[in-house]
Amino acid sequence: MLPSENKNSAEQGTLFDRLTESLLRRFAGKTSRRGVVAKLGGVAAAVPLFPLLPVSRANAASSSAAKAVAKATTPFGSKAQAKDANACDYWRYCAIDGNLCSTCGGGVHSCPPGTAPSPTSWIGSCYNPQDGNSYMIAYRDCCGQDSCNEVTCLNTDGDQPSYRPMANNDIIWCFGTGTSEMYNCSTAAVIGKAS
Amino acid sequence: MSLQKVPPSLLRALLGSAAILTMGGTAAKAAEPVLQTEQSDVITLPPYSPHTILVEDAVYTHNKDGRVYVVDADSGKLLGMVQAAYNGNMALTPDAKRIYVAETTWERGNRGARNDLLAEYDASTLKLTSDEKLPARALVTPKKNDFALNADGSRAYVYQMSPSNAVEVVDNTAHKVTQTVEIPGCALVYPWGNSGFSSLCADGTLANVSLGADGKVGMTHTAPFFEPDKDGIFEQSPTVAADGTAYFISYSGMVYPTKMGENSTVEKPWSLQEGAGLKAAPDSSKPFEVTWRPGGWQIAALHKASHQMYVLMHKGTFWTHKDNGTEVWVYDTQTHKRIRRYPLKVASNLVGVTQDEHPLMFTANEDNGDFFVSDALTGKPLRTMKALGTSLIFTVAPGEG
Repeated sequence: MLPSENKNSAEQGTLFDRLTESLLRRFAGKTSRRGVVAKLGGVAAAVPLFPLLPVSRANAASSSAAKAVAKATTPFGSKAQAKDANACDYWRYCAIDGNLCSTCGGGVHSCPPGTAPSPTSWIGSCYNPQDGNSYMIAYRDCCGQDSCNEVTCLNTDGDQPSYRPMANNDIIWCFGTGTSEMYNCSTAAVIGKAS
Repeated sequence: MSLQKVPPSLLRALLGSAAILTMGGTAAKAAEPVLQTEQSDVITLPPYSPHTILVEDAVYTHNKDGRVYVVDADSGKLLGMVQAAYNGNMALTPDAKRIYVAETTWERGNRGARNDLLAEYDASTLKLTSDEKLPARALVTPKKNDFALNADGSRAYVYQMSPSNAVEVVDNTAHKVTQTVEIPGCALVYPWGNSGFSSLCADGTLANVSLGADGKVGMTHTAPFFEPDKDGIFEQSPTVAADGTAYFISYSGMVYPTKMGENSTVEKPWSLQEGAGLKAAPDSSKPFEVTWRPGGWQIAALHKASHQMYVLMHKGTFWTHKDNGTEVWVYDTQTHKRIRRYPLKVASNLVGVTQDEHPLMFTANEDNGDFFVSDALTGKPLRTMKALGTSLIFTVAPGEG
């Protein structure tokens, strides 16, 4: 799980302190004070959604885009971006099929009001161009209202037929939501590192 | 503008013009007989021709309003429709006299008790002749093989996922579910004959289910013949219930000719690309290689009598298996060679064919619901039905199963 996915603020704080320290130490030895501030600003601007990513990875990825692309294992991953969670080419959406909850009143891992998250999901593995890692993504549907239709995507990295249900993006994953099991939109929660 | 606010002079002028027009009309029509009073009635369709087809519209933007259109492909006219609610599925009996729709509704629209239903319609009147409650059905973007009829139409098979995998067997005469067959690790239904079906399985095998007259179920598995994560088999590969013929097509374009039955036999695969004079496409271990590949939703259709298979093809990398086809490639399934190639004006998510001697080919525009009818033997476009529906995803032609 990415730190940004973790809502445990105490743990986040500890981690943030550690990362900040490591970042400062790393740059302090190499650059001027002004340079450190500039780089910190650059990193913050480039990774607004992942402020707690291990800096060494973010730094490596930004300093060597070509290297990162070479590590992408799929065509989608090599073209994915990590800035706009409302666009179909956002890295976590490598195998999403349907409406982006982030454009329907929800977020990348939040359901819009009036819907219920599915406790079950299918799992994809997506390459994050920002840190060069692949992550396991749970595509959890939000259920109980009909299709939202703001931004609709059909990405098929690793999408297997429905006889492999845990890797299929056609199934309505609304089992056990206590709603009508009607599909509204899809979220993409990071649940672990794949590589 | 309300009449009270019209200036009196203008009102007089308008009334005067109307009077003149009325008089003129009366004079011109004086010689014609007076129109008779009319009775409202309902059209009954004639028996289906080989070119009377069904088109499934999933209406992705509001799935609970799905429908099935009855289309005369010769004239390009809509003959009627029935509802197919929430990722509905449909099938036509071999004699084209009954339409079955498997669907799901909730008693209060988007809430309330869920009903999984199997509706039967008379194909000529489109009147409901049976409306049966099912134990469950799979809610999934509809694929032909989530629901199917046996060879003579006396049984329906409903794939369900609730969330364990099973098939409901329905007696279409008694309108009753006679049994639920568990198919652990497998999915979908590919009927063979009147009392059996096969399903594709997660371990790369085919499960073969025989339904005994005594209600006993037999199940066998073929040896694994494909690796789902490396080169999955398309769910909507063309199969024929009447004789158990199947052509299972993989993502990369390998075709596995199969004779389905109690012990299905899968033959050595052949390559769509090699049949077209190209190098066989690699599986997911080389995902970046760009070549011609099969893709779309209803990715292929079989013209049984001529052993010709129509396949949607596009240029792309691996994992583009749902990209729409920019061309249709026609194969002789006996020689494994591509015999014709039709570039499409509009890339299509579906390809369908009729089963007669002068077959028609169908493609669609997934974005605007346009439906295209072409001569299947030449690829020549014949007619377009503009915006027939919203999300056209598959077709059924009489006698194709």
